[in-house]
Amino acid sequence: MRLPHFEYAAPRSLDEALRLLAEAGEEARVMAGGTDLIVRMKHGLLKPGFVISLAEIEELRPISFDRRKGLSIGATARLAEVASHAEIKRRYPAVASAAEKTANVQVRNMGTVGGNICNAAPSADNAPTLIAMGAEAVIAGGKGKRSVPLDRFFKGPRLTALEPDEILTAIQVPVPPPYSGASYQHLSARGRVDISAVCVGAMTVFEGSTCREIRIALGAVGPKPLRALEAENLLKGQSWTADMIDSAGRKAAEEARPISDVRASAEYRRQMVDVLTRRAVLEARSMAGKRRR
Amino acid sequence: MFVGESLERVDALEKVIGKGIFAGDLRMEGMAFGVIVRAERFHARIASIDASEAIATEGVVRVLTHKDIPGANGYGVLKKDQPYLAAGYIRFFGEPVAMVIAQNERIAREAALRMRVDYEDMEPLNDPFLAAASTVNIHKGGNLLCRKTVIKGDTKRAEGQSHVVIERTYSTRRVDHVFLECEAGLAFPDQSGRITVISSTQNIHYKQKEVSRLLSLPEERIRIIQAPTGGGFGGKLDVTVEGYAALAAYLTGRPVMVRYTREESMLSNTKRHPLYMNYRTGAAKDGRLTFLEAKITGDTGAYASYGEVVALRAAVHATGPYQVPNVHVESSMYFTNNPVCGAMRGFGIPQTAFAHESQMDLLAEALCIDPLEIRKINALRKGSETATGQVLNHSVGFYDALKCIEPAWKERKKTGNSGFGLGCMFYGIGNTGVPNPSACHLTLMPEGKIGFHLGACDIGQGSDTVLTQILLETLGLEKNCVLLVKGDSDTTRDAGSSSASRQTYITGKAVFEAGRKLRSYLEEKGIDKGRSLKDICSEASGEGGPIFDGFFDPPTTSLDPVTGQGIPYATYAFAAHMTEVEVDPATCVCRVKKVHAAHDVGRAINPDAVRGQIFGGVAMGIGFALMEEFIPSRSKSLYSYYIPTSMDMPAVETYLVEDQEPTGPYGAKGVGEPALIPQGASIMNAIRDATGIRGFELPCNFERLCLLAEKV
Ligand SMILES: Cc1cc2nc3c(=O)[nH]c(=O)nc-3n(C[C@H](O)[C@H](O)[C@H](O)COP(=O)(O)OP(=O)(O)OC[C@H]3O[C@@H](n4cnc5c(N)ncnc54)[C@H](O)[C@@H]3O)c2cc1C
Repeated sequence: MRLPHFEYAAPRSLDEALRLLAEAGEEARVMAGGTDLIVRMKHGLLKPGFVISLAEIEELRPISFDRRKGLSIGATARLAEVASHAEIKRRYPAVASAAEKTANVQVRNMGTVGGNICNAAPSADNAPTLIAMGAEAVIAGGKGKRSVPLDRFFKGPRLTALEPDEILTAIQVPVPPPYSGASYQHLSARGRVDISAVCVGAMTVFEGSTCREIRIALGAVGPKPLRALEAENLLKGQSWTADMIDSAGRKAAEEARPISDVRASAEYRRQMVDVLTRRAVLEARSMAGKRRR
Repeated sequence: MFVGESLERVDALEKVIGKGIFAGDLRMEGMAFGVIVRAERFHARIASIDASEAIATEGVVRVLTHKDIPGANGYGVLKKDQPYLAAGYIRFFGEPVAMVIAQNERIAREAALRMRVDYEDMEPLNDPFLAAASTVNIHKGGNLLCRKTVIKGDTKRAEGQSHVVIERTYSTRRVDHVFLECEAGLAFPDQSGRITVISSTQNIHYKQKEVSRLLSLPEERIRIIQAPTGGGFGGKLDVTVEGYAALAAYLTGRPVMVRYTREESMLSNTKRHPLYMNYRTGAAKDGRLTFLEAKITGDTGAYASYGEVVALRAAVHATGPYQVPNVHVESSMYFTNNPVCGAMRGFGIPQTAFAHESQMDLLAEALCIDPLEIRKINALRKGSETATGQVLNHSVGFYDALKCIEPAWKERKKTGNSGFGLGCMFYGIGNTGVPNPSACHLTLMPEGKIGFHLGACDIGQGSDTVLTQILLETLGLEKNCVLLVKGDSDTTRDAGSSSASRQTYITGKAVFEAGRKLRSYLEEKGIDKGRSLKDICSEASGEGGPIFDGFFDPPTTSLDPVTGQGIPYATYAFAAHMTEVEVDPATCVCRVKKVHAAHDVGRAINPDAVRGQIFGGVAMGIGFALMEEFIPSRSKSLYSYYIPTSMDMPAVETYLVEDQEPTGPYGAKGVGEPALIPQGASIMNAIRDATGIRGFELPCNFERLCLLAEKV
């Protein structure tokens, strides 16, 4: 299995990257860490004539936090950087945890959170938490800049809202409100170092004992990461009881649209959406209790 | 001095600095590449093969089909029934149909995709029970490959005298070896017309014979050299790339490399046999086993390979390491249209251990006896008789192994979702009831070194190191006196295959014998009286160079064809593992936390090497018990076939029992396969302890366990 021939460019500015992309059209592919792109090219699943690396573009690399705008994860920030970033670990522990649970050490040292999102695998480990936390994809293209909420960014397996001439520049995650908490739960056949068979991200905001806001996102149980809206409705505005949490788990399982494949059967996946949803919302609640501000 | 020391491996440095050249990295002037075209059908007739487009591809040298084979188109360790290239008939998904030879690998692979093969599909038989009942014969002689029996005493009468009888059926699935290094080999002709093959292999002299038959050339015209080999586990015992590379080199007159991708390796390589094991075990009130009736049905896949060996080994070891006075075991192997199952670490015994160890726990439960206690009560010990009527007179360290883990067993504390389980085994070292000799020789080299000519293949298990230690100990000389001349059919004698945990014991003894001869020669020449080795060597090479040979064939007898009675092995290894698992009750994800492993190895020539084998065995046992399942046409690569990673490794505490084997070198036996055998069984018993659920089907992955949990 060898890489086919292709042209390669590593522009130093976003503008140049956008220009190259616009010129090359459908022929071109953007590359962040290349951990997915290169593998797919080796297997002959993708045959771009032109690969544009984002690695040399300084402005896409930084991870920054702003008290008003929140967290910005640059498109080429590595999974390992996100997993170990002090600010992220403190203010967005579930985001760090999802990055930490992605793939293995080697892939985390090369691969990016941005690539994980653009790749749009239904099982993308970083998607559920980011969706639950209300993250947005910041996009630059021929027609200028725009932002798309992450839960509208995914269109299907490996399909996103990106136009062919667009590049994701960053992922923007809002400042977590006071009394909020988030959690990432995942499960795979091997236990570790594996593509998730089921994954769930949840974020909750509490006012006293009442859940004021909640978002639950499910991964690997549909053609794209899904919001479990009905399950959210069962918990939103409520002071949770054990029964409520159980019903929310069951509801999320109903909302899932899993298939059977080598990782797990549809039946098992559906059952596990129930289990992981309950665990995710409970952990998010306990995190909310710990995080006053 | 050397024996009992954890000497650094003799090949460590060259591997660490990347100097060891693996077969797939070899290059030669004018070298072409061969790629095998495989059928993606389970059972079919080949209607036509159209190679025109492939041949027309620029850079393609030649396309071969079975018609191009000059000699016999069939290989196999016992039955030569597996074609190198299909002769009109496809019996499994992945069967080789043709071979494309091209200037480089890329062209060869592209041209291989241009081969057009038309098939007429036939009904596939993908289950041994279907194969047994079917009127369709996969091979001319019918679908039964063999049936082996071990019969002793009177099980019917014993049943009447039993307090409890437990009957259960266990099954396991196909497993791939997943050696780190995929199959690779380079073959080239020389001026004299000899064909040399350098490959990743577990045996060189056997492959010399097979290639000689294939090319219809006398054996001395074939030379096989072992390249550094990245693992085998039994998967490099059968002919892999050697035949194809040799055939292509012979027909094209140029060097030809054949190397498999992981996908090709998984598609073509032999697998561990799925066994279906019906066990009926009886015990008296005091826990003593009264009888065992076992019916074992195996799926050997499309060709014989090591199927017969596995059937026989499974029958002989069906009781586990226990005294069972009355035994009736019937073990049958059927051909199916599944991948060829062959040798894999343990030859059927990891499977039977799952059955007999589950039975032991079930009996213990029924009789309210502690699981360790019931094993102690029944343990084979000095003077015990095995199911084949062999009386064990020496080196029976099983009871001691149980004693080693007893403290940990007694102190175990269940917390939350954890559970503890035991798994035990015995394993005959070497081939079953047949001669399996090993030979080696030593020479004196003019530069003052001892030439250590070793035909045993080090496949990563460390035999080069251990055998060198045995030689040095016997000679009483320094480490740098020995020059290893190894793995080459031209310069070494047949040491048999690196399989059946036999190299330390059998070749080790041959090395010991050769070493003793050389030692007395050196003494005669005054080595102890101040004469230097260099001096003796230069004098000796003037004499025409004496050769000191060593030979050992363990004392065994053939087994009675009906009752299976006899002495199948000269010695046995014994082991007991205790495993702690943690099972998440909601997701049924099982993690192995800790393993205590006690092994009677006779003598640990190199304790670190023994421990290394145990760690590897634990890892492989986790895969076998919890995740590995090869499904033909669906398991294609490591993306769709799971093996454990280092992240799945538990802490492992090892205990080495050294009940010395008098026929072995310095008392040594073997550990390669024993390291794996009890692990899966102990995990299954631990899962039962943790969850109250007993699994009867491997792998017991989260799905299977969840289904069982729902039924409870
Ligand atoms: C061994 C292995 C294990 C893995 N395990 C996991 C796992 O456990 N969980 C998991 O979720 N994934 C896993 N992956 C998949 C992959 O590594 C991750 O998705 C990773 O985050 C991808 O990031 P990358 O930077 O390497 O992406 P790349 O390979 O560079 O890109 C991926 C895709 O996104 C596009 N893209 C990348 N960046 C941009 C951008 N800024 N704008 C527009 N398009 C862009 C590329 O064109 C490409 O199509 C694994 C991969 C391997 C090889």
